[in-house]
Amino acid sequence: MNPWYKRLALLVRLSLADLWHDRNVSLCMAASLVAVIAPLLLLFGLKHGVVSQLQQELLSDPRNLEVKMLSSGHYDQAWLQRLQQRPEVGFAIGQTRSLNTQADLLGERGRFVDNVEVIPTAANDPLLASEFSALQADQLILSERAAQRLEAKVGDSVRLRVSRRLNEVNERGERTLRVQAIVAAVRFARPAAFVSPELLLDLEHYRDGYLVPALGAGSGQSLEAVGVGYARARIYARDIDSVAPLEQWLNQQRIETSSRLAEIDSVKAINHVLGLIFGVIAGAALIGCIASLVGAFLANIDRKRRDLAVLRLLGFTSSAVAVYVVLQALLLSLTGFVGGLACYYLGSLLFDQLLGSSQATGAFICHITVWHGLVALLLALLVAGLVALIGAVRAIRIQPAESLREL
Amino acid sequence: MLEIKGLRVVRGQGPQSHAVRLDALQLRAGEVWAVTGESGCGKSTLLEAIGLLLKPERLDCYLLGSEQHDVARLLAGEQHAALAALRSRELGFVLQSGGLLPFLSVRDNILLPRRLLGLDAHSHAVEKAVAALSLTPLLDKLPQALSIGERQRVACVRAIAHEPRVLLADEPTAALDPHNAQRLFELLLELVAELGLSALLVSHDWALVERFGLPRLGAINGQGETRFEPLV
Repeated sequence: MNPWYKRLALLVRLSLADLWHDRNVSLCMAASLVAVIAPLLLLFGLKHGVVSQLQQELLSDPRNLEVKMLSSGHYDQAWLQRLQQRPEVGFAIGQTRSLNTQADLLGERGRFVDNVEVIPTAANDPLLASEFSALQADQLILSERAAQRLEAKVGDSVRLRVSRRLNEVNERGERTLRVQAIVAAVRFARPAAFVSPELLLDLEHYRDGYLVPALGAGSGQSLEAVGVGYARARIYARDIDSVAPLEQWLNQQRIETSSRLAEIDSVKAINHVLGLIFGVIAGAALIGCIASLVGAFLANIDRKRRDLAVLRLLGFTSSAVAVYVVLQALLLSLTGFVGGLACYYLGSLLFDQLLGSSQATGAFICHITVWHGLVALLLALLVAGLVALIGAVRAIRIQPAESLREL
Repeated sequence: MLEIKGLRVVRGQGPQSHAVRLDALQLRAGEVWAVTGESGCGKSTLLEAIGLLLKPERLDCYLLGSEQHDVARLLAGEQHAALAALRSRELGFVLQSGGLLPFLSVRDNILLPRRLLGLDAHSHAVEKAVAALSLTPLLDKLPQALSIGERQRVACVRAIAHEPRVLLADEPTAALDPHNAQRLFELLLELVAELGLSALLVSHDWALVERFGLPRLGAINGQGETRFEPLV
């Protein structure tokens, strides 16, 4: 006897020859598969395209991930660390009291901006999304508006000035900072200076009347006994799904918050509804497809009963005949899948061409990934293979003796 | 080549059952026997039993092939795989309607038994038979493009393609006109003689069998049973 792979190769050749010889019927069966696979791929592509686009829009704006603390309180370093270590938190940084988050900036040639927002930042700040956001105490990042007014460029020096009234005397603290980067107006519209958290704390302490040598102050109380404390925090969730639990955790501590949970929820709801619609349609299509395949395969086996009996007579085992039947089903579904994929490709091109440029719909995307395609292929092969097994059970019962008799 | 003793096959159940009996048959290499009888007397049943397609109710002895395989023992042990292997190696079948696979060319149909057994595609015997039956110009055609006579000739070549020891033919000329029937008979007998096979030809065409002077296994009908005996 032949080794198994040679016998399998012979079976594959016979299957192909049979399908090709019978190409009208093969085409019909493959076409019925295309009729199911192509619309399902298109529908899934639309669902996936629309939902992933909405999600991308959500993610591209860091404000969607932000959980704002509405009121000020007093939080120590330990609390902040606990917050930062929570799995839902992507980024959190302590902020001082809002009165102390303003300062004047002085540039070259007498340029200045007063009462600029001073915002603390650190590495991986989603608001800046800049590699330079890990700042030293003598560095800062300017928003585009602030940089314009100061006519400052990256690498320039800018002086940051705060004033206080201590013991009936007006004092000014000042520090020279180097511009590390400039944030585009799309990311942050108002004039602002992003600084390291230490510098922000220095500003607050200076205003509170402490001795802060970094700002050139020679008077005031010593800072030694003062612990680090924050009035609030700027918090971003790790991802879209973390916003709700994070907000809940804060609310449990009686911290009032606001977030864009409603927008997130509506995207999730759209995903859910589209998923449900897709599921129901796919289920209905699948049932119809299976029913039609079962009928087609069984009828095909009855039609080819004599040929199968001859194969048995020539010495093919009953399992070889079953493999033959299943092979044909797999080859047909492969053809159907390739056809369906081609139809999907044309359809998605059409969608993107006709609807993609329209203002009303925005960028309209019909999209599946390679993995989706592979999963769909496996599903198609699985369904065809299982259905063919029903036929194979019938084919196994065909006896070689049947070839001797006229049917 | 083939030796059978005490074979009895039963077809059907209860009062409708019909038994077919063959007390003794010995076929030597180069010998051709005809099996004759009326329609429905059990000729095909006998052929199926000899062709290892039907399990007999009783079988005293059945030796097959040059290596004298003990078929009776395999049947008793229900060793279906071994029986199927033996069948595909030692036996060649010519079917009433050819039984060619419609999706394979004549050449591929003829070579299929050799491919299945893993034999070399080039066979002197096959080339000779193809030439003798003037099938060379038809080799690349599909069976549907052939006349019935041509198809039966292809079926004959396919039956001997894997060089079996015994050829079993079930009314190979039934679908042919008398002239073509005689021609096929002639060719079949030449082929068998050339290759030194044993052959068993089922036929209801007694005249044809007599014209070629073949020894006959005749059907003797009894109550619910048909007995096949050599007629002299």
